[in-house]
Amino acid sequence: MAEKLDVKQGTLALMILRTLDVLGPLHGYGVARRIEETSKNRLALNYGTLYPALLKLEQEGFVTAEWRQSENNRRAKYYALTAAGRKRLAREARDWHRTADLIAAFLAPRPEAP
Amino acid sequence: MRPVRAALARILGFFTGHRRDEALRDELQAHLDMETAENIRRGMRPADARRQALLASGGLTQAAEAVRDQRGLPWLEGLAADLRYALRALRLSPAFTAVVVITLALGIGANTAIFSVVRAVLLKPLPHRDGDRLVYLRHSMDGPGGASIAFSVPEVRDLRTGAPSLGGIAEFSEWTVRFQADDGAVRIDVGLVTGNYFDVMGLSPVLGRLTEPRDDGPGVPPVMVLTHAGWMKHFGGDSSVVGRQVRLDGTSVTVIGVLEPAPFFPGRADALLNMVISEHHTSAFMVEGRTHRMTEMVARLAPGASVAQARAEVAAVHARMQRQFRDAYDPGSHYRVTVIGFKEVLGERARLTLWLLMGAAAFVLVISAASVANLTLMRGVRRQHELVVRAALGAGLARLRRFLLAENLVLAGMGAILGVVLAVGGVRLLTALAERYSPRANEVRLDGVVFGFTFAVSVTVALLLSFLASLPREGSFASSILAGAHRISGSLSKHRLQRGLVVVQIAVSVVLLAGAGLLTRTMMRLAGVETGLGTEEVLTIQVPLLTPAELLFNPASDAAAKERYDRMRDEIAALPGVLDVGIGSSMPLRSSGVRFEVKAEGKALAAGEAMPRAEYRTANPAFFRAAGIPLLRGRPFAATDHRGSGRVVIINRTLADRYFPGEDPLGHRIAWTGDVLRFTPISGEWRTIVGVVGNTRDGGLDAEPRAVMFMPFAQELAIGGGFAIRADSNVSALAAAATGIVRRIAPTAPIENVLTVAQIKEQSVSPRRLNAALVSSFGVLAVIIAAVGMAGVLAFSVSARTTEIGIRMSLGADSGRVQRMVLREGGVLLVSGLVSGVAVAFLAARGIRGLLFGVAPHDPATFIGVAVMMAAIGVAACWIPALRAARIDPAITMRS
Repeated sequence: MAEKLDVKQGTLALMILRTLDVLGPLHGYGVARRIEETSKNRLALNYGTLYPALLKLEQEGFVTAEWRQSENNRRAKYYALTAAGRKRLAREARDWHRTADLIAAFLAPRPEAP
Repeated sequence: MRPVRAALARILGFFTGHRRDEALRDELQAHLDMETAENIRRGMRPADARRQALLASGGLTQAAEAVRDQRGLPWLEGLAADLRYALRALRLSPAFTAVVVITLALGIGANTAIFSVVRAVLLKPLPHRDGDRLVYLRHSMDGPGGASIAFSVPEVRDLRTGAPSLGGIAEFSEWTVRFQADDGAVRIDVGLVTGNYFDVMGLSPVLGRLTEPRDDGPGVPPVMVLTHAGWMKHFGGDSSVVGRQVRLDGTSVTVIGVLEPAPFFPGRADALLNMVISEHHTSAFMVEGRTHRMTEMVARLAPGASVAQARAEVAAVHARMQRQFRDAYDPGSHYRVTVIGFKEVLGERARLTLWLLMGAAAFVLVISAASVANLTLMRGVRRQHELVVRAALGAGLARLRRFLLAENLVLAGMGAILGVVLAVGGVRLLTALAERYSPRANEVRLDGVVFGFTFAVSVTVALLLSFLASLPREGSFASSILAGAHRISGSLSKHRLQRGLVVVQIAVSVVLLAGAGLLTRTMMRLAGVETGLGTEEVLTIQVPLLTPAELLFNPASDAAAKERYDRMRDEIAALPGVLDVGIGSSMPLRSSGVRFEVKAEGKALAAGEAMPRAEYRTANPAFFRAAGIPLLRGRPFAATDHRGSGRVVIINRTLADRYFPGEDPLGHRIAWTGDVLRFTPISGEWRTIVGVVGNTRDGGLDAEPRAVMFMPFAQELAIGGGFAIRADSNVSALAAAATGIVRRIAPTAPIENVLTVAQIKEQSVSPRRLNAALVSSFGVLAVIIAAVGMAGVLAFSVSARTTEIGIRMSLGADSGRVQRMVLREGGVLLVSGLVSGVAVAFLAARGIRGLLFGVAPHDPATFIGVAVMMAAIGVAACWIPALRAARIDPAITMRS
């Protein structure tokens, strides 16, 4: 199995926002599962990383949280994206793409000299 | 906005967090359950499924802790816990806590109280609109009484046209009027002001209106604006006062408004009136007379103008005036005009005293903080064990530091609370002191800014204390634990910081003691000054029967007034115990306030020499005997020196020395002179000197005697007026009977300054006594703290070195040798403290030169006395621990 990576500071928020954007309101477990799956299990997300990040987003008003019944009839806290969260996601995604393109351009294999 | 919102959420979380812990547990539990369920679904056995889920979680407790950190204010929560723990720990050492809290309270309390006065009197912005744009113009000249001589109307006019930087000039003329209140007449201090006065000063009414330019000039109705203080004093703050008619000097005046609270300068004022109330102020005398100086000027700088500009313009105008009117400014007297910020001038008399007290209080704080630092250092050493254990249990250095900070915050906080309680009492005393020096003393209060200062001081002390203590070095924990952390580091040299603090305490004590010594000697010198009166059994009463207006414009009133003075004199003389009663215009040991130039027949002045001036006073034949003023030559006035006879005068010794050095002045002729005489009812005729009397300290005990010329009471107008009453003993008991007689004969006349000579002296001495007492009590406090601190440090050193001393003694050192060893340790500290203290005191003494009288700032007697005293106290403080060291029994110490 490939070596597990730590979540880079700041990228976790983006992952959470994106997950909620794609899947709609979701509990913490769901978010964690989704992120791990999307990363093909290269990311390990323990509770001590995930829940403070969720709380921070909630404090900043990017997500809201409410207690609901889950699909298998369990009480769970569901997180949902707010309008501000959606805006932040769009902005950060754009920034990431730009950065990624830039870095990719830099790291591109040198064209063979003619 | 996001960070604000997040911060608010965290603060909310700080308060509500504990309620959400349960929800958090549920959430994490749900996560765990779902993961376990998923694992089972994937085919694991239930026990393995749960174990795997737990492993992946990274620990529920850790997760909850991480969320809690994010939710609230973890630092604050930690501090709160530390504070609780600190309180518990301090309760376990009540003696330490009490000593530290009281020591800090003394330092913090003294600083709080004195800062509240410094702020109100010197620092706080003026209540006037844009008060920092106001400047005071001071006209002064050489000689006694020349420090501030006010301006004449023509001079004000010149400055108004010649100095455009002065955007507006407010004129204020000090005046007194007789105010007929329901319960008798009182003389009140008022200001006669121009209509633009309030606009320039930037003051608003709290009731009614203020005077305006339409209230200027003759022929307008007289109106009065009450100052806030006058309103409270004479009308009890009655808001129906506006529109009321009151009688001032027999004229009916309308009260048009009440002014907001504001300080006045140079004198206080109960009311401000337009000029029309004083016939004199609207007369040609006043308006045209260049030497008739009765107007004080406060100006508002024009927009964009600077004080420097104003100074330059004023200097130019003044130079032009001096060239143009040579008669009005004799060159020998060095007339000058200075421009001073209004706020500065209001604080000028208080400044030096207040900064002295602030400095002394700061020193007390330094010394108390140093002493507390030593106490905590010693406690810190004893607690090293506890700190090491805490470190071993995983507390990092920052954590230990925070714990110390919490404890010191608790100590400083308790000290601050007790200090504020002390300050409340001190402020009352200090306000009484400030009232003598500043018109802003009524603004003194313990308000938010003062408490902010107290808070800042306390937190600073707590921070300093926390960072002074050395913590076990990181990495050295293990060795400390191995050593059992029982071996307390012993030799004093390892406690350089503690020794340094003791030196600081001794040095500061020396500085404070030196200040106290100089001020006490000043006070004693002052109390020992000869007043010039042969006796203290003299009671003086000031009874001005005539107002200045009556004197100037109603000559007939003079004879009637003199007849009443004679009747009062006769009745007072008949009181039992009275030896003599004298009548005079002003009483000895008080300035008459009336001063003119004097010339002597046949005595020319050298070129550029200042024109001599003398105080104008009148006296009846019995006056000198009654007041106890010794007659040095010639004769006193006699009944034959009446209106019809030749004009005669008695001069005092200062005036005699000025004009007749080495000569007998008797028979010479002397006269009042100067342009200003034109505006007075005083004659400039030659008068023959018939006597010379001794000097009296009329300008205050600390001022040189002034030249005085006495004229027979019967030959002059009854200006001022009062009695000097001499008794064989207990003269103050006569006060009630004498005032009763005056009240009966002149029911509406103001009665002022009913004071014995001893009381007048006391007025001069008491502010100095208060200064000396305050600084002395600070000094005593400092010495006590320093002595206790020094004994404590040595005692600690001895107890830490018990084993070492035991070894020395078993190797042959006798107890005398051990004692000397400890004494030497203390002696080094004492000498360093003394030397540095004397050096600092030498520099500091120069700063308080202005507060001293009759003693040089580097007075050797004071300095030697202080050094000897401090050395004696220091040696005594060393002796106790030295004796203890000498009594150590080597057998016992070696065994343990």
